[in-house]
Amino acid sequence: MSPVPADELGHKPLDGGWGWMVVFGAHISIGFAYSTPKAISIFFNEIQEELGASYSEIAWVSSIMLAVMYAGGPVSSVLVKRFGSRPVVIMGGLMCGVSMVTASFGSSIIYLYLCIGIIGGCGLSFNLNASLTIISKYFLAKRPLANGLAMAGSPVFLCFLAPLNQYLLGTFGWRGSLLILGGLMLNCCVAGALMRPAITSCELSSATQKKVEQRNTDVKGRCRKNARKFLNFSFFKDRGFIIYIIGNVMFIFGAYAPIVFLSAYAISQGVEKYSAAYLLSIMGFVDMFVRPGTGLVANSKWIRPRIQYFFSFAMVFNGTVHLLCPLVKSYTSLVVYAVFSGVGFGMVFALIFECLMDLMGNQRFPSAVGLVTIIECFPMLLGPPVAGLLVDIFGDYKYLFFMCGSVVVTGGLFLFIMNIYHYHMLNKEKAAKDRQQNHNIEIQEHACTSEAEIERTEPEAAEMNRA
Amino acid sequence: MAASWKQLFFQILLLFICCGRINTETTGSTPAPLVPTTPLSTDVKSVVLTGESHTENIELLNPVNLSLECTWTGNPIKLPNITGFWRKDGNEIQNSHLTVQLENNQYNIKQVFSIVSEKDLGNYSCVFGNEVKVDFILAAPQITEVRDKPIVSYVGDFVVIECKMDKTKPMPSTWNWYRDNGTEKVQIMAAAEPGRYEIKNNEWETKLRVHNLTEADRGLYYCGAVYAIGTTMGQVKLKVITFLEPLKPFVTIVGEVIILVAAILLYERSQSKQTDRAAFPGRVENADENSTQTQSEDKGNEDSSSMRQRKI
Repeated sequence: MSPVPADELGHKPLDGGWGWMVVFGAHISIGFAYSTPKAISIFFNEIQEELGASYSEIAWVSSIMLAVMYAGGPVSSVLVKRFGSRPVVIMGGLMCGVSMVTASFGSSIIYLYLCIGIIGGCGLSFNLNASLTIISKYFLAKRPLANGLAMAGSPVFLCFLAPLNQYLLGTFGWRGSLLILGGLMLNCCVAGALMRPAITSCELSSATQKKVEQRNTDVKGRCRKNARKFLNFSFFKDRGFIIYIIGNVMFIFGAYAPIVFLSAYAISQGVEKYSAAYLLSIMGFVDMFVRPGTGLVANSKWIRPRIQYFFSFAMVFNGTVHLLCPLVKSYTSLVVYAVFSGVGFGMVFALIFECLMDLMGNQRFPSAVGLVTIIECFPMLLGPPVAGLLVDIFGDYKYLFFMCGSVVVTGGLFLFIMNIYHYHMLNKEKAAKDRQQNHNIEIQEHACTSEAEIERTEPEAAEMNRA
Repeated sequence: MAASWKQLFFQILLLFICCGRINTETTGSTPAPLVPTTPLSTDVKSVVLTGESHTENIELLNPVNLSLECTWTGNPIKLPNITGFWRKDGNEIQNSHLTVQLENNQYNIKQVFSIVSEKDLGNYSCVFGNEVKVDFILAAPQITEVRDKPIVSYVGDFVVIECKMDKTKPMPSTWNWYRDNGTEKVQIMAAAEPGRYEIKNNEWETKLRVHNLTEADRGLYYCGAVYAIGTTMGQVKLKVITFLEPLKPFVTIVGEVIILVAAILLYERSQSKQTDRAAFPGRVENADENSTQTQSEDKGNEDSSSMRQRKI
């Protein structure tokens, strides 16, 4: 039902073996990428006191890091296509390590913006993009599962980094903690070392035959041309891509605000401070298991062809859970909300890049993901502040949940309906193409037979002439 | 500040005057603290006790004549008389024993205490019989927002220690900082060492900045919120470490990363060498197999010929 664009060369991905080590490497890499901006917020109180900055000034560090991580997508796409995933991830790991180590010597808030925000954000962006790309190169049949396992890195690392950061803060203070965190982030280089380059259609493999070599040079030329394009705007002509982008933008706009404001909402409902913080850990814990689980489910032969619909279902589920949140007041029901919210969030994030790979195919994925991340930068930065504004204007958290839930549900429904339309149009186009091909074949056959007839008749005519 | 000094002087004067008269206890109901006739405000706090015991927190700012009242209704055995007395910080107040009559099904004790200075603050309990009691905890406003975890800083660096008083509570008249030097709390005078210490007081919060930290600076620091009645303390622990301390785990982690990366890359090298070695005779084998396959259709000796090739 869904068109899985095959590679030009039709080379078969490994789907196992060393691929699982690559998934492990991607898990570490993606884990650091998503959890670091959240985990370093534990240091903010101390840094704030020492550097004399206000809370909003300090919070900018996280926002800049996230923004650069997403905005750096196109740059890292170009680098990945030119050099492959391994050097890019190793470079990213080094940059992250250096950023944290230099930040530990910081004495002004601007310095932190530069070190953690910009350099760290760049490093993370290299990590994210390259890890996703290499999964698409190593897996096809088991790709949803591989994606689910790799994306599970985010909640796993968050659960692991949060208490670790608390301990480091208490033992070494914020400077020592940043130093040690920098060392830990160098483990992304280990993850990069695991990402052995796969034989792709952009490289010449030694055992190809002449005919394939010819095709290879054509493909190689096209590859080089694509690699040089910084932002490949031709994607905007792709109907599937536009649908995906719009749905995703709506999701990202509404997805993060409920998480950011969950503890505040719980405290406003009379829940104690530590129990409110516990809600977020529950969400993260559930997320950890839901992501690989969703990958497994999406891999089944029932769901795989309909994965875009499964993705829109996950989005609608997530949005509905947020819409129901204002109805719950007691702590137990908030825990239930946190669990279901974790499930919804995990489901969407396990599938978010798998669906893009499904739409774009192996070749176009690196540039597509770069474009997607830079576009997603805006809703991600705007979502929580707009939601916060709603809380300030109305003085009630329920409007926040209503807004976020409805935006996400609308996004999911949009994807669902538009995908039905998209596949319908694809089928029509395919049928039209088939008819055209058949027609061409008929003309050719007709031409062949008429030629044969002329050939047959010519000697006869010649004989007749001679005679 | 000046008003309370005046009050204190007045009370000391009265003490000298009354001292001669209050020497012998007249009745058992008069407690030891004197009852001055100075313009101290009077406040009444009463508690009705139904169960076994109760604790009441009372926040005081200024010196006051505090009348504490205990009413007990929960006695199952309605004795006509029971003894009652007062305790301060666990110790029985001298000559505070009373015999309490049962009136309207309840027992009633009342006492007026003069709270003028910090030593008058504490835990006052009225006790009925022997076990049933009400605790009145008299204290100045407590500092709630103070770090419970130690602050960690580095030699040569500076540190900012902060203490905040809850804005819902009354504002302290000033803040003081003290350092524990092992035996007692010594007040930190910022004026004496301007390069080292900097104190910034700001109504409900105070910040102490210590520059050029050395290992000797580690220990307990106290911020004191000064009220007319006394000073409440908040405690913060400061740890000073050298930069070598986090450097050790950092170097270990970097070493681990280098070892792992080298191991992975070496493993990959050795694996690819193995596949190359296997591939080279394999390629010859391939070509031969192709040629033999075309011939073997006639010969029918495919297996033996390919086996022959593999032996090479």
